[in-house]
Amino acid sequence: MKRITSSLTDGKGFDIVLIAFPLGFLFLLAGLPLIYNVVMSFQEVDMFSLGSFARPFVGFKNYIDLFAQPETWPILKNTALFVVASIAGQFCIGFGLALFFWTNFPGASWLRGLFLVSWVMPGLVVGAIWNWILSGDFGVLNFLLKESGIVDGNIFWRSDPTFSLWAVVLANVWLGTSFNMILLSVGLSGIPKDLFEAAELDGANAFQRFWTITLPMMRSSIGAIIALGLIFTLQQFDLFAAITSGGPNNSSNVAQYWAWDLSFRQYDFAKGAAISVIMIIFVMFASVVYVRSTRHEVRG
Amino acid sequence: MTIQIELTGVNKHYGAFHALKNIDLSIEKGTFVALVGPSGCGKSTLLRSLAGLEKITAGEMKIAGDLMTNVPPRKRDVAMVFQSYALYPHMTVEDNLTYSLRIRGIKKAEARKAAAEVAATTGLSQLLGRYPRELSGGQRQRVAMSRAIIRNPKAFLFDEPLSNLDAALRVHMRKEIRALHDRLGATSVYVTHDQIEAMTMADHVVVMRDGVIEQQGQPLELYDSPANRFVAGFIGSPAMNFIPATVNADGLSLTVNLGTLEQNLQINQPLPPGRHVTAGIRPEHFRLTSADEGTFRVPVAVVESTGSATYVTTLTDPELTLVETGRSMIRAGETIGLSINPDQVHVFDAGTGTRLARE
Amino acid sequence: MTESFHNRLMFVIAILLAIVYLFPLYWMYITALKSGSEMFATPPSFWPSVPEWGVYAEVWQSRNMGRYLWNSMVIATGAVVLISVLGTGCAYVLARYRNVWVDIGLFLVLMLQVLPASLMITPIFVGFSQFGLLETPRLAVILAIAAKSMPFFIVLVRATFMSVPMELEEAALVDGNSRVGAFFHIVLPLARNGILVSAILIFMQAFGEFVYSKSLIQAIELQPASVGLNSFMGPNTNEWNKIMAYATIYVTPILAIFVLLQRRIVSGLTSGALK
Repeated sequence: MKRITSSLTDGKGFDIVLIAFPLGFLFLLAGLPLIYNVVMSFQEVDMFSLGSFARPFVGFKNYIDLFAQPETWPILKNTALFVVASIAGQFCIGFGLALFFWTNFPGASWLRGLFLVSWVMPGLVVGAIWNWILSGDFGVLNFLLKESGIVDGNIFWRSDPTFSLWAVVLANVWLGTSFNMILLSVGLSGIPKDLFEAAELDGANAFQRFWTITLPMMRSSIGAIIALGLIFTLQQFDLFAAITSGGPNNSSNVAQYWAWDLSFRQYDFAKGAAISVIMIIFVMFASVVYVRSTRHEVRG
Repeated sequence: MTIQIELTGVNKHYGAFHALKNIDLSIEKGTFVALVGPSGCGKSTLLRSLAGLEKITAGEMKIAGDLMTNVPPRKRDVAMVFQSYALYPHMTVEDNLTYSLRIRGIKKAEARKAAAEVAATTGLSQLLGRYPRELSGGQRQRVAMSRAIIRNPKAFLFDEPLSNLDAALRVHMRKEIRALHDRLGATSVYVTHDQIEAMTMADHVVVMRDGVIEQQGQPLELYDSPANRFVAGFIGSPAMNFIPATVNADGLSLTVNLGTLEQNLQINQPLPPGRHVTAGIRPEHFRLTSADEGTFRVPVAVVESTGSATYVTTLTDPELTLVETGRSMIRAGETIGLSINPDQVHVFDAGTGTRLARE
Repeated sequence: MTESFHNRLMFVIAILLAIVYLFPLYWMYITALKSGSEMFATPPSFWPSVPEWGVYAEVWQSRNMGRYLWNSMVIATGAVVLISVLGTGCAYVLARYRNVWVDIGLFLVLMLQVLPASLMITPIFVGFSQFGLLETPRLAVILAIAAKSMPFFIVLVRATFMSVPMELEEAALVDGNSRVGAFFHIVLPLARNGILVSAILIFMQAFGEFVYSKSLIQAIELQPASVGLNSFMGPNTNEWNKIMAYATIYVTPILAIFVLLQRRIVSGLTSGALK
């Protein structure tokens, strides 16, 4: 007994206790549901069998039914489009801002922090604000677009099937750009300053220095940031709920919203689980890329 | 005798801080000039201003006759070897060498040929395909130098290039760098805080302190005739001993004050009597005798022997450091006698530190 | 151009960029103050002609914001407490050692970070209903949020612990502390700032959480402000000034905390937590 107590206060026991409870908790509340999800996707689930574990096993029926539905492929396409457009927007604008603030003029560091506001606000509130900004007849975005001559008439961002997805993309880019900018700033400041001085003495102008020094040195940061961007974009739900609810007519529906919709609006839990499984495979892939891109340091 | 680098009245301010104060410096083509001084004296600032990495606030700077105000670094045609080498980590040694050529549009094949030639002279031919992280400290140093050589620049600038190497390697690289300089007929400006490097490598040494050039000249000139107390104490290792003294009534000797001991010391030129001065004597210039002979009798505090030399510290105030070659029979606690040739006594004004004029 | 002119120019451009970027926030604040008809004015006004300060009290009353915000507080606080208690120790252990087990643990923790709530909600809902956890819906949400956000907290706090030199802990052990003592008396106080910043970020996330809250809480009196906002915004909403007023009340505490602690938060994020 004494050995156990001494291990708890002085030895490995302490570490094990500290790590066992949280990991146990996570396993219970995140790991098990994951496994449960996979199991459920192979079962037939309805409102009544919600309470029991043993439900009829139907093999791949849910998946087959899923892909037989007409809206499946368009929604998957939307998801891909949403992800690519969001990441492109967030990354490019974020990189531009990071480079701008990197010149480190007085006041740069606290001004830079202000932008993070978009990231800490609740997604739903961001969605509500953009919903109003994107209003067809009364939204201020349309007003500004018309005043500057970019468009002639009002764009009905939320109700026009051609634009509905882009409405959410716009809001998502606004939400995530600042976080990208901060991460990219970290990457940029990791490049030793004298490399740029050496390149400058070697004759490189600003553009050449960017291409031959900055970008290559940031390669692993960029990989990590894009992987992270993929993960966060696939998590984005609140904006859809606040702006378009996936409509009109599934034109702005994406896989993560649809999975929820199938389970909680249409009560088709099995199909919801099936989509989740497919999505989770993608997300896992992205996270492997992320983990490999980040190098871990030893404790200082 | 062409002047390759010329600075006239150069000043640099960082906000309120006056880093370089009215620097005048002329560097002839083909010379190896060392900028030495303690941390914060402005030597690195001066070097970086030459490169164009810092802008001067006043004065003129010319390289090979061309005025360099407002000329950006990449157009100055000078090469710099950084303290951290600044090798491009994502490029091979060969790409590191050819970078400056490729940037200017020289074709890859030609650039690679030039790199191979330079690598042959610096012993890097086998390492062209490696990455910087795979190289040792000395190898990286040579890559940094090769990168500078391949550009055939108007001047080479070195920013404390050896401070990251261990002692043995440093001694070896000192000779290599100087040999390279001679072979190329280059003009080099070399910044270091180590006065031994400056003395052994340079044709011309510039000693700086607080943004000002205290003295410049050939290394042995600075050793033999330091212009002020600071230079006298900076050049030479172990450092010169400084003893407060007063000029005697005869004007030809000093009363030096060693705490409980006062002693007369002959000097070799007349000075105003009664003047307060500081006498400077190098450790290697004391002649050790037995206690009975010798001008001074001093007790010994510490004796340290490295095998090739013996360092003796005396129990006086201020304490004196003496150095003798080889072994010595002196023990701590003994009293010894010291003698000194009047020609080897430096006299500085007690207040300003300037050497009191001779000749 | 001179350095100071350049600096000032950059500063001005930065302010302009900030104004453009933060415009939606500004728009939220002034829309709340517009009257019902002014909202729909074309062209839209960029400053309310007669600011309707009364809208806040009105929305607070009619939408029962007090109750909603209270629920948000309960959920957020519960989640932060749970996450801090469990996560801090875990982060400490993961920072202290480097071996195969730690790598596996780290990998698992990171993988669990990536799962979207909207995908996990299905099995969580089904599982919770089987165990009767839906009877205490706010607790259910706290547990779900804790599982979702704990990995992020662990990653951030681990970085903080990594910056506490091992020598300090070793010195404490040599001085006679047990591991427990060394952890509580030496390491934890030194990591306090990083833990605080991470906890604040988690709090802000949990305060705005939507998916779990909407799916797990049916009873209106237990729903948090995010769900309240969502139900306010039905399909044919046009009371935008009231909606924006709601949003303002909801979001301003978070914004206030953020603006006050902005430097700490940014430096916490940039100090290597995300490398």
